[in-house]
Parts: sequence; structure tokens; C-alpha cells
Amino acid sequence: MREYEVVTSPHAAPGPQGVAPRRERPPLRRASEGRVVAGVCRGLADHLGLHPLALRAAIVVLTLVGGTGALIYAFLWATVEPDEGEAQIRAARTRWADPGVLLVVGGGLAVLLGVAALVQSWGLDLRLDITLPVLLLTVGAVFVWSQLDAPRRDRLLAHQGIDRRQALGRLVLGLGLAVAGLVALGVQGGNLAQLRDVGGAVLLTLAGVSLLAAPYVARLWRDLREEQAGRIRETERADIAAHLHDSVLQTLALIQRRADDPVQVARLARAQERELRSWLYTGPTGHAATLAGAVAAVGHEVEDLHGVPIELVVTGDRPLDADGQALVNALREALVNAVRHGEPPVSAYVEVGRVSVEAFVRDHGAGFDPDDVPADRLGVRESILGRMQRHGGTARVRRLESGTEVSLELPVPVEHQGAES
Amino acid sequence: MTEPSGSMPIRLVLVDDHRMFRSGVRAELDEISGNRLEIVGEAGTVDRAVEVIREQQPDVVLLDVHLPGGNGRGGSDVIAGSAGVSTRAGGPVRFLALSVSDAAEDVIAVIRAGARGYVTKTISGPELGGAIVRVADGDAVFSPRLAGFVLDAFGAAAGEIAEVDEELDRLSSREREVMRLIARGYQYKEVAKELFISVKTVETHVSSVLRKLQLSSRHELTAWASARRLL
Repeated sequence: MREYEVVTSPHAAPGPQGVAPRRERPPLRRASEGRVVAGVCRGLADHLGLHPLALRAAIVVLTLVGGTGALIYAFLWATVEPDEGEAQIRAARTRWADPGVLLVVGGGLAVLLGVAALVQSWGLDLRLDITLPVLLLTVGAVFVWSQLDAPRRDRLLAHQGIDRRQALGRLVLGLGLAVAGLVALGVQGGNLAQLRDVGGAVLLTLAGVSLLAAPYVARLWRDLREEQAGRIRETERADIAAHLHDSVLQTLALIQRRADDPVQVARLARAQERELRSWLYTGPTGHAATLAGAVAAVGHEVEDLHGVPIELVVTGDRPLDADGQALVNALREALVNAVRHGEPPVSAYVEVGRVSVEAFVRDHGAGFDPDDVPADRLGVRESILGRMQRHGGTARVRRLESGTEVSLELPVPVEHQGAES
Repeated sequence: MTEPSGSMPIRLVLVDDHRMFRSGVRAELDEISGNRLEIVGEAGTVDRAVEVIREQQPDVVLLDVHLPGGNGRGGSDVIAGSAGVSTRAGGPVRFLALSVSDAAEDVIAVIRAGARGYVTKTISGPELGGAIVRVADGDAVFSPRLAGFVLDAFGAAAGEIAEVDEELDRLSSREREVMRLIARGYQYKEVAKELFISVKTVETHVSSVLRKLQLSSRHELTAWASARRLL
């Protein structure tokens, strides 16, 4: 057996010289060494495992009988990649290194030989109007089969698949060529009746071929769909990974750096938790243009500023107006007081009702008596009590057994009450 | 923690798909409960949880809302799969939902499947211990957030009040008061003091709200429960 010239596959490291040839056939390429004209016969011989001389003889004979050999040679010369460079080896592999194609090429040659012999036996002179359709037929068949076989090849070799749209395009092109070839071959020099007969025969043949090819085409289509779905999943996964990287992983890194500062760690963890939550569940509250949204924003802001978690519950919602904004501002002050002077857990409950908005902020600290608060301390007196009064609401500070509770109430303007639902 | 319900420790099963969270809860409960609680099993999937519950017949199951396996409905599947199992004392197995999820439909779904309460994972150890004891005694446990959901879902925040207490689609005014105080962060004890009623009465009201939550066909509730989002 003769030695293969290049047997490296793009996926395997080049083995040591002299190793027994792999069972896999070398890809079909135009040989750069040991060639006579363009290396077509030598390359084909390597690929098929035949002696190049036999192929050369066949080509010469075919050329002599009617020129077909020269056409085949020219076709192969134009389509088969020359044997040089890794990239070209890879391109050639994905296109040609396949037993199916091999069969087709062999079969095509056999058919050509047979047809040539047959026509010769009829005593006819082989002219271009016969050889050309035959060639077209062969080319079409090669295209069709090389593409129909693609899914199996991809699966066997586990390659990154070639472009399936392109494959379908080639399939159509190949079929068209094959039909054209068949019809041209059938009706040459014939009359109208022959044309009809041949046309019918071609259609019948095509129907048969379609039936045979249908499973392959279906699989091709399914593979295409699977690949698309896989790509969509992959994109989604990448989006999630990117988000987690930008948010959670960064925060975890920050937390590790600040491990000695529990307040900072708690604040970072809480902020990250909230961010992730709103990303996952799109949050229980609306945007900031509504009262509930503004309340949530204020709660988060105070949490971030002071690193104390606030259990915030909001029910109902309404558009944010100036009075509502005043309530939000007073609530913010109450929350700041609770996290600064009280003890956790800090709870806040805002109920947006039909006739009034009520807000409660409670902590579990030692508590204080509002009457004891010095007049110059603006916090409670001005920012909470005064503000609520100016907007027609009320504010109350209660001392509980454990902790303090600030309650705010703001009546909803009468003209809005009917519109609420 | 409230008074012990007999001398036997409460037998507890932890169901959560995060092993780290389970060991954290276990450590915290060991620390605070002494010998009042006994963790008799752990599970990380729906199917394993049902297996463990059938085998151990615990008093209380601490149940994560999101779990792999089963029919894809997480904690609700565990409750459905454990139907008919009774505790060693012959009572019903109680479920306490424990979740990081803020999504109302998740919470409502697991409550409607039969859980006796819902608390968030940020709950402190002693509070969790108290909640477990309360659930073991057959009472309901509502976090402020769950109380908020209830007020919203029953339209109580908007002023809808039941004419008669038995009405399933609305809260009675007393139930509304209790829910509001829980939403404000009050403990049952503080709610009782505020409303001049006994803790037992508070528990009765909360249980009655839980029952309404489970049985009501109110549109918002069913919409929430059925439109449970899947991630």
C-alpha cells in the first residue's frame, strides 16, 4: 500500500512520521506533489485509495471518447481545493472528507462510463449536447448528496456545523441542475411527444427521489431548528451570566475586601439583594411616579445610607402629587430617625386607601418622648409634624413598650376619591 | 418563644435546595431552641422531601417555596405529595413556608396549597423558632409582608370590609385591624395589647384570615395563584 502524503486532520496533532496510515481517508485535494497536470487525478486517487494511473487512464479514455473526461477534470480542478495550508485543508475537509461524497463521485464516474459505453454501442458520435447534460447531472447529484449527508457527517465528526441556509441553497441548485440535465439528455433531437414522455419520467423520478430524501431533509430542518433554539438559550444564559457578573460577583468581591466592617458588609449585601430581587421579580412596587414607587425608593435610600434593613410593606397605590410627596418626605425623616436612634428591626407600613394614606414607621429602641425633644431639634418637630400639618395631614409619635412608632396620615382629596379603585 | 406544647420536642424537617441555607438554619435553631426542637430530616428536592416526610412523620416542615423536582410547583408539590401523612401524635403535619421570593403569587400559591404561614429568609433565629412553635400549635404565622399581601388582595386596604365574619371574599374589620398591625411590625402579643384582646383571640383571627386566604375564590387571589410566574 502506498504512503499517504498528508494525513493530519485539523483536530489531531500531527503524529510522528511513519505511523501506520489512519483508517480515515485523506480529504479530497489536488495533490501538490507527484502530479502530472493539476494534481486532480493524484488527489482523487489518494482520496479513493486507488492507483492514480488507473484514474488518469480513465480520464484520458473518457476524453478520447467524447470529451467528458476533460470536462470532469476541469470541473474537479475548479472545485477541489489545492493541497496547501491548514485553512484550506480544513475547508476541504468540511466539504469533501466524507464517505457519502466518495460514493457519489465513484457512482457518478461509473454512470458516466456506463452511459458513454451505451451511447457508443448505439454507434452514435458523442457530441457536446450529450456530454454537457451528463456533466450537469453529475454535478447536480454531487451537490444534492453532499448536502443531504451533512447532518450525519456533522454528528459523526461533531464539527461546528456549516451554514445550513447555504446548504439548503445548494440543495435547490443541485436539484435544478439535475432536472435540467435529465430533461436535456432525454429530449435531445426528439419531438414534442418525446418531450412529454421524458418530462413525465423526470417528474416521476423526482417524486421518488423526494420520497427517499424527505427524511433527510426533515432531519436537516430539525437540526436547523435545534441549532437556533440552542443559540437563543445560549444568548439568554450569557445575559444572565453577564448580569450576575456585573452585580453579584462584584458585590461579593467588595464584601470580601470589607470583611472587617460589618456595617458596610450588611449594607452591600442588602443593596445587592434588593437589586437582584427587582431584577428577578420586577419588584412589588411600581415606578417612582406613583406614591408606592416613591415610598419604596425612599425606603431603599435610607437603607443604603445607614445600612439598617427596613421591612417595608406597601398596599395600594395612587399617583404622586405634592401632598403625597410631602408624606414621602416626612416618612423619610421618620425612617432616618428610626434607623439612627432606634433599634432594628425597623418596620414601615404604608397603606394607600380610598379616603386617606396612612404610614407607620416603627423601631424597637428605647424610645423617646416627643415632648422631651428640644425645640431646636428640627427633625421630628418640623420635618415630620410640621410638614404633615401644612399639607392637611396629621402626624403622631407614640412610645410603645419596646420602641417608638411614628404614624402619618394624609387625607386623599375628595375629587380623587371616586377615581380610586 | 411561647409556652411548650407538651414535653416532647417539636420534630422538624428542613426542605430547601440550598445546603448552605439548611445548615445555617440548623445551627441557628440548635443555638436558640435548646431541646425544644429536633431536626429529624432534611431534603433538597420535592421528591426527596415527600419521602423524608412520609418516613419521619414530623410535626412541622420548614418549606422553601422554590424547589426542583415534582411537577415544577416547588413547595406546593411537597404539600400535595404529603397529603394524608400524620404526625406521630396523630395530628396533621404543619407546613411553614420560608422564602426569599417577594412575588405575591409564589406566597399565595404555597399558602393555598396548605402552608400554615409564610416568613422571609431574613427572619432572625429567635423569631423563626417562635414561628415554628406557633405553627406546631396549629396557629398561623404571618410576616408583615404576607399581611400586606392579604390586605391588598382582599381589598381591605381600599376599605372593603365583610358584613359578616364568615364571608370568604373579604376580611372582617377586626381581621383587617390585626393584619394592619402585623404589617406594621407588631408581634401577636403587641397586637393583643393594642386591640385590648387576648393573644389567643389574635391567633384565632389570624387563623381565620389564613382560612379565607386558602378557600376564597376572590378574583385577585385566584389570578395571583394561577398566574404564578416561572423563571
